[in-house]
Amino acid sequence: MDELISALLRALAFGTPLLLASLGAVINERAGVVNLGVEGMMALGALAGFAVAYGDGSPGSGSVWLGILAAMAAGGLAALLHAFVTITLRANQFVSGLSLSLLGLGVAGLLGKKYEGFPLFGQPNQWPFTIGAIVLALLLAFWLTSTRAGLTLRSVGENPAAADVLGLNVNLIRYGAVAFGGAMAGLAGAYLSLVYRPSWTDGMTAGLGWIAVALVIFVGWNPLRAIFGSVFFGLLYYLQFRLQGKTFIPTEFFGAMPYLLVIVVLAFAGLRGQQGAAPEALGRPYNRGER
Amino acid sequence: MKNTTKKLLTAALALTAAAATQAGAQDAKLKACFIYVGPTGDIGWSYAHDQGRKAAEKALPWLETQYVESVPEGQALPAIDRLAKNGCKVIFTTSFGYMDDTVAAAKKYPDIIFAHNAGFKRAPNLATYMADFYQVYYLNGLVAGALTKSGKVGFVGTYPIPELKRHLSAFALGVKAANPKATVNVKWINSWFDPAKTREASEALISEGADVLSSAEDSATGVQTAGAKNITTFSHYNPMLRFSPGNVVSGHIVHWDKIYIDFLTKVHNGTYTNKNLANVDYWWLLSKGAVEMGADMGMPINAKFVPQLKAAKMTVGGKTVSVYDRVMALEAEMSKGGKFDPFTGPIKDRNGVLRVPAGKTMSIADLNSMSWVAPGVVGQVADEPKK
Repeated sequence: MDELISALLRALAFGTPLLLASLGAVINERAGVVNLGVEGMMALGALAGFAVAYGDGSPGSGSVWLGILAAMAAGGLAALLHAFVTITLRANQFVSGLSLSLLGLGVAGLLGKKYEGFPLFGQPNQWPFTIGAIVLALLLAFWLTSTRAGLTLRSVGENPAAADVLGLNVNLIRYGAVAFGGAMAGLAGAYLSLVYRPSWTDGMTAGLGWIAVALVIFVGWNPLRAIFGSVFFGLLYYLQFRLQGKTFIPTEFFGAMPYLLVIVVLAFAGLRGQQGAAPEALGRPYNRGER
Repeated sequence: MKNTTKKLLTAALALTAAAATQAGAQDAKLKACFIYVGPTGDIGWSYAHDQGRKAAEKALPWLETQYVESVPEGQALPAIDRLAKNGCKVIFTTSFGYMDDTVAAAKKYPDIIFAHNAGFKRAPNLATYMADFYQVYYLNGLVAGALTKSGKVGFVGTYPIPELKRHLSAFALGVKAANPKATVNVKWINSWFDPAKTREASEALISEGADVLSSAEDSATGVQTAGAKNITTFSHYNPMLRFSPGNVVSGHIVHWDKIYIDFLTKVHNGTYTNKNLANVDYWWLLSKGAVEMGADMGMPINAKFVPQLKAAKMTVGGKTVSVYDRVMALEAEMSKGGKFDPFTGPIKDRNGVLRVPAGKTMSIADLNSMSWVAPGVVGQVADEPKK
């Protein structure tokens, strides 16, 4: 019983950044925009958060809460770049997102040099983040399905032409959704550099952003399922070490599990023709007057 | 993918740097270049090499250096090509996985002097070098054995290669010598640098009862995780005391500059050429000052733990001594090149097979190809021989 509880606690700790980032991605994808830049935005958020919270290194010179705001702003601004390229300029969303990942990692690595090697003391407690993320998931689920604004967002992602005819500003709504996604990725980054590590190193996101991207598909663009999805991923991640040496299964198998699972789920969805869970207009730039 | 951007950025910077040097004074400086497997800020392996590079540049006025970081193992050739084009006369490749690429590059560029770190293949223009920790791991094992109350010492391993098995085993031999009932529980993360995996592997070890933790991963995350749980831990590769001043008891610190300065000086004065390196293998230990035992530079043991270590007793040759005295005595002896060696027989592996006969010590070749692990190691260990 104790083992189960300790495993669940680790799953929540590791799952929190995944949940935060994937909730953001669910929203921007529900509005019809794919953003593969999560990893890069997370790295920028992690650096911005750490830099502001660290200050000049003396106690009291930085502020953790300002750090969190800075991380969200950094992620949000990077996402706006993606929004401009894909929504206004109608460039390919996948290419733009990939570039954003590379750019974010590179820029964060370059600017972060002077923060490498320093610990952060007085870091915030994990639980406000974890509980906040779960509450946010519940709120978003309700918002998406039961409010007019949520319906508007979904209609922009499903059928932007119809939404346009109804007088909705498709581009503006998409801009908002993408910025929200970026801010959440930035927040996930701040969780890593302020709570989970807590320090800054180049490459510290180590692929978590990509897991979050995969998670969105895994949970079928559903914020409620994202809670279980991220905790489940967290559990698998932790168990690869907890079970190591205790079973005949090689550790590499546990390490590969999350990714294998995504593939299996996608394959099943494909077989049963359920790719329909994805927003209809996902990945396609909206061109007014074009069908 | 991250590495591609990095390479582009580094290449751009390198070009700028090259242009700048050419514009400057044309005094014939020796150009030595370094290839790192991780980011220079990992606070582990690559960081330590970069500190060594900086120290060498400071100490040797005729030296100029350049480096490329985060080069994946098996992808060293393109980086070497670029460095060769940039006029590097000496190239250090600082990861085990660069071995075959370095051998190929040594053939391709016979005029360049290469030195490969942690490998065993040499050529007329390719030397090998290593600052090894196995003595220091043994000393830290004594400390860990004396401090564990649960009898479980945790060890986060990277890859189960000979180097790690050597260190893990030396550590376990130390733990057993100070505390015959204690075990070293190992978890592998199969990565040199992955803070999240280190964190979760550490958490798993702690929840299985480990109350002393050592990590071989290249970041301070292991130390931070132990610190958050208030359990005893060790610096890895670099001083990490500042990450958890109350919990880092000792550790292993490297001084690559000792090797770099020696090697480059010998290149500069003509002792080493591109024709005579086939037998040059640096295997520098405590006695050469290439490694140091400590929580911080010049601090073998954190003062907070000294009383506990003085109170802990162990038996050496039938006599009871304090663990503290034993650690300090052995450190002094090995530092001056005395005859004590942790891998002195008789040593059986954990399956009971005799690996080192009585009175013998392991050769460097044996240490470099070690596939068995010492008694006291608990957990899955890949490629472990049954007989």
